[in-house]
Amino acid sequence: MELRINQQTYQVEADADTPLLWVIRDDLGLTGTKYGCGLAQCGACSVLVDGNVVRACVTPVAGVVGREVTTIEAIEADAVGKRVVAAWVEHQVAQCGYCQSGQVMAATALLKHTPKPSTEQIDAAMVNLCRCGTYNAIHAAVHELAQGENA
Amino acid sequence: MNNSRFARTAGWLALPCLVAAGLLAWYVTREPATPFSASDSANAALVSRGEYVARLSDCVACHSLPGKAPFAGGLEMATPLGAIHATNITADREHGIGAYSLADFDRAVRQGVAPGGRRLYPAMPYPSYAKLSDDDVRALYAFFMKGVQPAAEANIPSSIPWPLNLRWPIALWNGLFAPTTAYAQKPDQDPLWNRGAYIVQGPGHCGSCHTPRGLAFNEKALDESGAPFLAGALLDGWYAPSLRQDHNTGLGRWSEAEIVQFLKTGRNRHAVVYGSMTEAFNNSTQFMSDDDLSAIARYLKALPGEPRRDGAPWQYQATAAAPDAPGAHTYATRCASCHGADGKGQAEWMPPLAGATSMLAAENASAINITLNGSQRIVAAGVPDAYRMPAFREQLSDREIAEVLSFARSAWGNQGGAVQAKAVGELRGHTDPASSSPIILHMR
Ligand code: FES
Ligand code: FES
Repeated sequence: MELRINQQTYQVEADADTPLLWVIRDDLGLTGTKYGCGLAQCGACSVLVDGNVVRACVTPVAGVVGREVTTIEAIEADAVGKRVVAAWVEHQVAQCGYCQSGQVMAATALLKHTPKPSTEQIDAAMVNLCRCGTYNAIHAAVHELAQGENA
Repeated sequence: MNNSRFARTAGWLALPCLVAAGLLAWYVTREPATPFSASDSANAALVSRGEYVARLSDCVACHSLPGKAPFAGGLEMATPLGAIHATNITADREHGIGAYSLADFDRAVRQGVAPGGRRLYPAMPYPSYAKLSDDDVRALYAFFMKGVQPAAEANIPSSIPWPLNLRWPIALWNGLFAPTTAYAQKPDQDPLWNRGAYIVQGPGHCGSCHTPRGLAFNEKALDESGAPFLAGALLDGWYAPSLRQDHNTGLGRWSEAEIVQFLKTGRNRHAVVYGSMTEAFNNSTQFMSDDDLSAIARYLKALPGEPRRDGAPWQYQATAAAPDAPGAHTYATRCASCHGADGKGQAEWMPPLAGATSMLAAENASAINITLNGSQRIVAAGVPDAYRMPAFREQLSDREIAEVLSFARSAWGNQGGAVQAKAVGELRGHTDPASSSPIILHMR
């Protein structure tokens, strides 16, 4: 089947029910997207599909044919994604880093839909787990981003 | 004078009592008639035909344990009176049924009577197996005698205390509730319908879970002549939904092809097997021939629904839930990745919750149970499922589960209604999380 990932077209051979995460990591070698739980519980595998954040471990690959997938590798090609990564660097959010590609995807999707989210909207969107407990740094970075371009 | 009249009267009274007691003793220990003689024997074609009948009948689900010899028995079944265990039905002469003649085997399978007249507990679905044809019983016997390795595994005695463990009253129960004749073709119906009726009522014993039970734990109907037949029932912490044409809680919205697809692959655009149905799928329905699955679908599509029981027909309604509504936030963070923010799931891999039986039925046991305990692995054509429902019992409190289910059971046009935290707590207490490893029961 034909997949569009990071503005590129890939031909992959996979069963229809193969999780998108397997295809991204194992078949295409895009290993920036992480495997945490495989059960939609942690968010480490978050990617964007048509600008919405989805958990790639529970996304059958057949469901993204004809849609535009964005992974962490290309997130800085997106204007919002670029701002998110810059804020992440500024706040030195990452500790071990394992969950952070997913956190960046979640924050990017939020800000793409809601450029100035309220605290409730941020809390509702930023629900990925972080074993290192970087929640305070994530919180600070997203709140700064929520104040807009010139904050 | 008075004394001798008394003695004479007592004598006259005692006589009928003795006769009645004698008749009762004969009735409850009698070995029923069987069409088979002791010399009926087996060949290879018959053995493999019997293996297929064993698949239709799902013998392995109760009579085998994972990692143990096939059909060596052991599955524990809780009853209100105590625990009983499925027995060794291999051809081992000491512990199994190796000493059974075909006639003995027939009496056990179709009438629930072991050699010597001992009555089986109706946990063995002989009220359904009674409908098996003579040919299928003969084939089944050939399979267990010649196709299954004898296993010297001792049976586990039941923990039911005396006098409740006396078996003879079951004979009276049988007289009231268990049929004694094989399925009879209905000449006014076509062969496909008849084949479907035979499998559903007989070997498939669908009614054991899907038909509601009466006070004596009897299935309220054993065929399409009774309205309660396959109308949905609560059993072992799961609600087995209606298999009739009920729009909401039954198969009203399913086509025949979708019923076939569900039984063959474990999934379709409406639902994915879960709960006890996973065992029925893993061990039985996926092995049925396409013709037999079509027959089942034809028969089930002919069972009318009951709108008064089923409620107003469900229709999808877009739900813009307030993100701070109780349960809506939990849904968004825990459920929506798979089941969709719109409740539509990712058919046919992750089932929709919009319009799902578990979200429409007043009985909420299945919704609670699967949320607490997750789903068992579905193994279709030897391949374990890529996606399964995780258990949330460690992550969500009774109140959180009640809230998220109350949300989902009232969103998107669903009308199952609110779930109370107390009901979650009760099920939490007597259920266990589903195993995350695939369980495969072999038959040979
Ligand atoms: S790996 Fe996908 S959510 Fe955890
Ligand atoms: S930074 Fe280590 S898991 Fe989040």
